Amino acid sequence: MLAVRGLSAGYGPVTALSDVAFTAARGRITAVLGANGAGKTTLLRTVSGLHRARSGSVELDGRSLAGVPAERMPALGLAHVPEGRGVITELTVEENLRLGGLGRGRPVAAGDLERPYGLFPALADRRAAAAGTLSGGERQMLVIGRALMAEPTLLLLDEPSLGLAPRVVVQIFELLRGLVRDEGLTVLLVEQNARSALSVADRGVVLHLGAVVADEDAAVLAGDDQLRHAYLGF
Amino acid sequence: MGSRLVPTSPLARHLLVAVLGLVVVVVVLQGVSDFRRFQLAELAYLGIAAGGLTVLTGLNGQISLGHGALMAVGAYVTALLLPDRDAGTPLPLVVLAAVAVTLLVGAVVGAAAARLHGPYLAGATLALAVAVPGIALYFKETLGGEQGLRVVLPDPPGWVLDATYFVTGQDLTTSGYVALLAWLTLLVTYVALANLGRGRVGRRWRAVRDHEVAAELAGIDLGRARVSAFVVSAAAAGAAGAMLALTVRLAAPSSFSLTLSLTLLAAVVLGGLGSLAGALAGAALLTFLPQVVTDLGTGLGLSDIRAAELAPLVYGLVMVAVVLLAPAGLTGTVRSLLTTSKGTPR
Amino acid sequence: MQQLLNTALGGLTLGMVYAAFALALVLIWRSTRVVNFAQAPMAMVTTFVALAVIEAGHSYWLGFAAALLSGLLLGAFLERVVVRPVEGKAEINAVILTLGLFIVLHALAAVVFGNRFRSFPAPFGIRGLEVGDRTIALTGFGIFTIVAVVVVMALLVALFRFTDVGLRMRAAAHSPEVARMLGVRVGRMLTLGWALASVVGSLAGLLIAGGSLVHPGFMDSVVVFGFVAAVLGGLDSPVGAVVGGLLLGLSLSFVSGYVGSQLVALAALGILMVVLTLRPGGLFAHTPARRV
Repeated sequence: MLAVRGLSAGYGPVTALSDVAFTAARGRITAVLGANGAGKTTLLRTVSGLHRARSGSVELDGRSLAGVPAERMPALGLAHVPEGRGVITELTVEENLRLGGLGRGRPVAAGDLERPYGLFPALADRRAAAAGTLSGGERQMLVIGRALMAEPTLLLLDEPSLGLAPRVVVQIFELLRGLVRDEGLTVLLVEQNARSALSVADRGVVLHLGAVVADEDAAVLAGDDQLRHAYLGF
Repeated sequence: MGSRLVPTSPLARHLLVAVLGLVVVVVVLQGVSDFRRFQLAELAYLGIAAGGLTVLTGLNGQISLGHGALMAVGAYVTALLLPDRDAGTPLPLVVLAAVAVTLLVGAVVGAAAARLHGPYLAGATLALAVAVPGIALYFKETLGGEQGLRVVLPDPPGWVLDATYFVTGQDLTTSGYVALLAWLTLLVTYVALANLGRGRVGRRWRAVRDHEVAAELAGIDLGRARVSAFVVSAAAAGAAGAMLALTVRLAAPSSFSLTLSLTLLAAVVLGGLGSLAGALAGAALLTFLPQVVTDLGTGLGLSDIRAAELAPLVYGLVMVAVVLLAPAGLTGTVRSLLTTSKGTPR
Repeated sequence: MQQLLNTALGGLTLGMVYAAFALALVLIWRSTRVVNFAQAPMAMVTTFVALAVIEAGHSYWLGFAAALLSGLLLGAFLERVVVRPVEGKAEINAVILTLGLFIVLHALAAVVFGNRFRSFPAPFGIRGLEVGDRTIALTGFGIFTIVAVVVVMALLVALFRFTDVGLRMRAAAHSPEVARMLGVRVGRMLTLGWALASVVGSLAGLLIAGGSLVHPGFMDSVVVFGFVAAVLGGLDSPVGAVVGGLLLGLSLSFVSGYVGSQLVALAALGILMVVLTLRPGGLFAHTPARRV
């Protein structure tokens, strides 16, 4: 479970997050929604240690993440799939996956790789291919598989649907639901495509200009026309 | 803003500074020993080359490690035109020829290098720095080989001798004459560089340095801007080479080693990229520091040869220090260097 | 025919050394995006360390090991302390910095070790091998040079392809932020990259010094030619470094043998300009330059 309290962060004179607080429950998908520039990516980057917060706290299963550098997060069970996917194009598919597994701090056994290949058979077919040759959908699968290799308890996903065909988005979101159900993963899902995010999420947190303006069950948010029009664009 | 006494047009201001500079130079030259005059001539020609280089690197962002080679071109042209007393070419024409030839070489190199960036450009100019002296060694008969070509300085014209006596009450020595020539050339060069820098050409250079894509979108021809910057700095190097040949009365490969190119770059960095005053200051450092540091070294018990290495050691350390201590790294103008070193937030 | 063979063999041996040096430059460029102009003086310093060990009475191999070890430490130290602050800033900072280091190391060596020329031993002999009743321009040491460089290259390939450390280093070099997110200690990988590159550079220094005279300027020609070789092949490509080194070594050997040794630098410049005009990123450039 991820608990965020009073989190504020910015870039120089610009405030990107203002006193953000919410809880992402274990075994649930929590969507973080809002327009461009609302602070969604900054939120993920601050949680995962890539960006320093000005104030506030972030706790994962009771353990404070304050001051923990980004490279130590995988060992603490946090996996962050960044905006733009973060595929390392120069490495092969298998090398990307293997790298994800190294984040646990133990050597990667051949058997460990079977997990992502089992979830994403398309990757298994391309295991020796340079990751740069993959399509958008395949890349998304790769980076999710790579994140899972570290056996995380918390998964941060930044705009996974970006640039993907709707059919592929549906596939990925269904997969996500399955993972959460089977493994008890906590997922924090940042999406601009609020409609599809709310269809797969359990809970929704809406950001506007760096502040939380709504924190409700997904179904409630989806049903609130006024809110949707004001902040979510549909 | 300046008072009414100071002209507002940049060209007029530069000319005023140049004239004042000339007065200062004449005053100083007449009061010092012949050895010092020699040193001041050295300072002038290093300053000319450094000025051209600081414009290229500071305003246009191209790093050249080969300006020593361009100086060699200027020097050798001068030497070829002034082999003996009977050489018919008047001195101003010799200098112009040196500048013209170096300018052409600069155009060729600049055109070839225009598409190269950062390390690739540095590499190409590095190879240039080492290649040119080799040419002089290969064509032993025409270019004098290892020993080089002697340069015979033509006698100063009568009116210069008379004017000197009139103004200073002393006879004009050879060293004095050479120093005067070198400083005159420096002032002319600097006025030209300053005007180019401030004008439209300079703005184009800076635009290309700072943001290529934006510059292109604004209609600036990247290649042409880069070549023009290179050509201008090469012309300056050619003039510097000519002055070097006249000062030392020799054009030999050993004067144009890789070390010269690197120390020119050091002078430019230390003085502040893009600043002509800084280039001159850097050149002054190159001229006067070695003696000071070497004396220090022998005082501490080092042999002469080893003590001589202390000067480059100092430049190198200061170069490293400048890069590490400037908060945002090296930037284009002295102004921002001054601001950051005083701690004012940028 | 004899001369052709000898020129080629000489070029091959020399090319191997340039290849090793170019490889060191490429390793550093790939990991930290810095061209290490100080690589040659670094190798020169470590060769002097080896010389000190050998002149103190120890075996060549101990000196050899000392050079490689001091290379490792020097590379790691310089990256961590001196170069780290400029990684990620505008290129000009790194260029000036490494040039400054070049000047410092050069001068320091001259002050500490003196400018005297000293001879450096070469194991396996420096006499031409006899083939039939002819002597060819390949010495025992020459064979050692070729073998040593090939072995080092093979080790590097193995490191990067087959080990976890190599994987981490490649990730850190190519996508440092993503690598961080995956738990890679990017800083350490960069330091390691410099340390390894410096070891390779030290090897190149030892190979050039062998059977020859050593003085603070002895690596100066390598500065230029090693750099040209690296740029020729494309700074991002280790294969390019090797190909560039061999190409350059052979070409320059032929120029030196058939035209004149003074024009070797000009030939190098010419080759470089031709290659860069046709392929601005070097022979093996694979990433097209990103403009926006």
